[in-house]
Amino acid sequence: MMTLLLALSLLWPLGVAGVVIWQTYRTPSARRDYFSVRWLSAAWPALLLAYGGEAQWTIDAWMLGGEWELNALSRPWLAFTALLWSVAALHARGYFAAEQAQAQAGDQAAQRRLMRLALLWPLTLLGNVLLIIAQDIASFYLGFALMTFAAYALVVHTGTEEARLGARAYLILAVVGEGLILGGFLWSAGEADTLTLQGVRESILTAEHGAWMAALLCLGLGVKAGVIGLHVWLPLAHPAAPAPASAVLSGAMIKAGLLGWISVLPLGEEGISASLTQLGQVILVAGLAAAFGAALYGVFQRHPKAVLAYSSISQMGMMTALVATGLVAPAVWPLLWPGVVLFAAHHALAKGSLFMGTSISEHLPRWPRALIWPLLALPGISLTGAIGAGMVAKWGVKSPLYEMHHETLIKLLSWAAVGTAALVGVAIWRQWQQRHEGGSNRWQWGAWLAGIAAALATPLWLPLPAGSVAMPPLKEWLGIMWPLPVGVVIVAVGGVLLRYVNAKAPPAGDLWWLYAGVTSALLVPMRLIARGCGRVKAACVLASKQAEEALMGYLPRLLAAEPWMRHHASGLMMVLAVLLAALLMWEGQR
Amino acid sequence: MNATWLPVTTLATSLLVVVIIFSLPEDARRPRTIVNLLAAVIKVILVMLMVGRVSAGREDIFSFQVVGGVDFVLRADALGVMFAGLSSLLWLCTTIYAIGYLEGSANRKRFFGFFSLCVASTIGIALADNLFTFLIFYEMLTLSTYPLVVHNGTQQALNAGRVYLRYTLSAGVVLLLGAVLLHYLTGDQSFSSEEGLGDYLNDHRGLLTLIFALLVGGLAVKAAMVPLHGWLPRAMVAPAPVSALLHAVAVVKAGAFGILRVVYDLFGIQLSIELGVISALAVAASITIIYGSLRALAQEELKPLLAFSTVSQVSYIILGIGLFGPFGTIGALAHLLHQGLMKVTLFFCAGNYAEELGIHRIDEMDGAGKRMPLTSIAFTVGALGMIGLPPVAGFITKWYLGIGAIRAEMYWVVVVLVVSSTLNAMYFLPIVHRLWFRLGPAHGQGQWPKEQRLGRLETHGWLLWPMVFTALASLGAGLLAGMPFSPLDWATRVATGEYLP
Repeated sequence: MMTLLLALSLLWPLGVAGVVIWQTYRTPSARRDYFSVRWLSAAWPALLLAYGGEAQWTIDAWMLGGEWELNALSRPWLAFTALLWSVAALHARGYFAAEQAQAQAGDQAAQRRLMRLALLWPLTLLGNVLLIIAQDIASFYLGFALMTFAAYALVVHTGTEEARLGARAYLILAVVGEGLILGGFLWSAGEADTLTLQGVRESILTAEHGAWMAALLCLGLGVKAGVIGLHVWLPLAHPAAPAPASAVLSGAMIKAGLLGWISVLPLGEEGISASLTQLGQVILVAGLAAAFGAALYGVFQRHPKAVLAYSSISQMGMMTALVATGLVAPAVWPLLWPGVVLFAAHHALAKGSLFMGTSISEHLPRWPRALIWPLLALPGISLTGAIGAGMVAKWGVKSPLYEMHHETLIKLLSWAAVGTAALVGVAIWRQWQQRHEGGSNRWQWGAWLAGIAAALATPLWLPLPAGSVAMPPLKEWLGIMWPLPVGVVIVAVGGVLLRYVNAKAPPAGDLWWLYAGVTSALLVPMRLIARGCGRVKAACVLASKQAEEALMGYLPRLLAAEPWMRHHASGLMMVLAVLLAALLMWEGQR
Repeated sequence: MNATWLPVTTLATSLLVVVIIFSLPEDARRPRTIVNLLAAVIKVILVMLMVGRVSAGREDIFSFQVVGGVDFVLRADALGVMFAGLSSLLWLCTTIYAIGYLEGSANRKRFFGFFSLCVASTIGIALADNLFTFLIFYEMLTLSTYPLVVHNGTQQALNAGRVYLRYTLSAGVVLLLGAVLLHYLTGDQSFSSEEGLGDYLNDHRGLLTLIFALLVGGLAVKAAMVPLHGWLPRAMVAPAPVSALLHAVAVVKAGAFGILRVVYDLFGIQLSIELGVISALAVAASITIIYGSLRALAQEELKPLLAFSTVSQVSYIILGIGLFGPFGTIGALAHLLHQGLMKVTLFFCAGNYAEELGIHRIDEMDGAGKRMPLTSIAFTVGALGMIGLPPVAGFITKWYLGIGAIRAEMYWVVVVLVVSSTLNAMYFLPIVHRLWFRLGPAHGQGQWPKEQRLGRLETHGWLLWPMVFTALASLGAGLLAGMPFSPLDWATRVATGEYLP
């Protein structure tokens, strides 16, 4: 039964993609429905699979040997990923309704865009599902690559200047990331002669250069997870992508990097070497830097989705720091990881809802303002930890840290939550400034409401091990809730103060512009060198050609010597005979 | 039981076709097609028989004495059968493709005659059991390819042919010199002899190194290693099926296969390591890989880009030899097959674009995915495979080469692999992007350079289906690498034979 579900959850998205191609050729464009129920259902088998219980598969014929597993970690991960994909698909049906109408009216460009999106959406989903259940390196890498490259179409969808820039940044960093991951996997798997992620984990733990392998993998996977320095694609790609795509990008796909870290790093293992601990500290610092830096930079953004993208970087920074704790203080990890998974799941749904919310504020339904704006803010408030699932998630990571006496980290994370609150505040404010009435679609707001509900109730449906997370006791509530009012107040005060300062907002994508500048500056000397090499090569070819010609020129001259020799043949023979005789005599003398 | 007839029949099938085709009149299109296809199918069946016999542990030998001390020997061993399998399978595909491609053009008799001769020599190279036999077929290959390269008869083609002959004939002389020296030193040396040349190591170290350098240097010209690769990009003027065959099986692969034979079967791994020539090989291969990728990056036309990509990719095989150890060997052998499948796909695609739409330059490919979806999907598969992304076969080889490098503690090779993957991505992904994401003539912007409607589908069926088949095979070889008789499985079998005799 489970095997059937597994086959279905992998083949169904593939089939959906096939049907999209089929209808492009068979169905007349006026009746073409890109977002049919069949398309919406692409993620449903995977969702069922996550709730089917734990299972294991070994498929020898698959690539280098397939090892797939649904365990305590991959089940909840698959559950929230598949749920978010399903909700976002529903949202997409409403979001693209207008574009679909255009396409049906005969707009070729809209047809092309929608066909591309409808085709590559299920493929991206397929990659995401595969990488979650994969326990062997090849399957994981396949899922990761498929998801990464197929998602290009989701980012570039609108085809505007910004979309193309965002997509290019996304792709360039993705290629860099793939290279780093490949290097890391080859190194660690080669040392230990293994083909599974478990083997990689052991190899990193025991190998001499384990920390360097881990660093390579961390950076490579960190491109997806938005680790500081490699995060630049997020604020460029998110504002340009359509809202449902941003939702899965920020909710599900960047979590793939996190899952990769949890799968390959020897978190919570005994006997972690000093260098690995050091690496853990570096990651911890990088995570916290991302958490704070992104918040500081993000609040100055104009586009609500850019603000939300920085919020994602900030949140992922917190999760990075938590993962790093598994290296720095291994004893904490067995207690901590359910909290991290809950944190990730809640962030996935909440951030997904926030991104879907940006499309709601652009097409406000005719509801009372007092209803709609609190609803828009609700997932954000939950994200700061003030209510609902956010509170439970915060407590889920806080209580193990308390138990192991990591008060400093708790304090820092709390302050980072202030940043979250500030970012959410700014995002809602920007949405308010850029709101538009009308044009809403019930699929759009229906999916959005479902997303909010799922986000707020995350601990209720997430299949975590029993008893691993609990509601915080009442006396702790204040300690979890305080960042929200503080953050909102800071934003309000800052907004009032900055009203009189006439400064330009810093560009989204911060370091990207630095990287781009440095690269183009480096290209200049490289072009010069290449041109020089080309000239040297041309000179070499010319020289050897001339040498050859000169040699060939000697040939006729040699041939010209022939008549002379014929003429003097008898004389030459005599000379030869004398020489031979002399040689013989010399030989006889010795 | 020694089925002597098997290797010799396989070779004779191809040679017989040559005779028949040359005796048929120029306009006998149908009989020629039938003979061609029939022979190709028969050969695939014969090679499959050989595969079966080899996997059952039987090796068939055919031999006769030419002059004293020099024998002509054909033997079906695992490595040879692997190469023969590749060449017979791709010959079938390429023949089908060529029949469609040359529809209605002149000199088809000459073309198909030499085409068959070319493949017959490849089979000979695959099954040759000593250096003498190998050399005969190797030179036969050189000469039979020339008419194919200059087939168009244009000035550019004639020039390319001249460059090709210069390179390959001088290489042949060098190779011959090496072979003669070796024969002088050791007498007739069979590829299958167990002892190798280890006995000569103490007394003739310098001479052995010289012989190795001569042999590999001679073979490296066909394998297009830098700086001996100059002929390959020029030979691009040949018709697409010729390029496909040249790059995937015949000439380039013959060079790489020769190096495999020299290192594994003539010198033996142990001796090669002791001579220290293996590491030199790895370094040379790495330089070629990076250089080829860099040059490919700068190309503006599709076929030269693919040519430089071949320069780079074929050296993966040499690199795999350079990583002594079973993993490197498996990677090298598997890549021999994988690269063949992927490259043949890419060249079929390039040919289809050129035939159907007149596309030669990369910037003319905008939006071609809409006009020719199957071709573009096949191209995408091939390109992703060249980058080394799963699930295409290229990933499998990259993986094994990387693991082999780590096992041999040659960490810099991993850097080379990663850099090369990135460079591959840098020149293939923009093309894939053009195919699918840019707007072009198919969307009503501009016009194709020279559009023809060759078939009911996106192009002529004879051009389409071989390409679809090879693309599927490249995918299958990666996705189902764990299956018995997959390229990886067979490569593992050969490598185990080499390392654990």
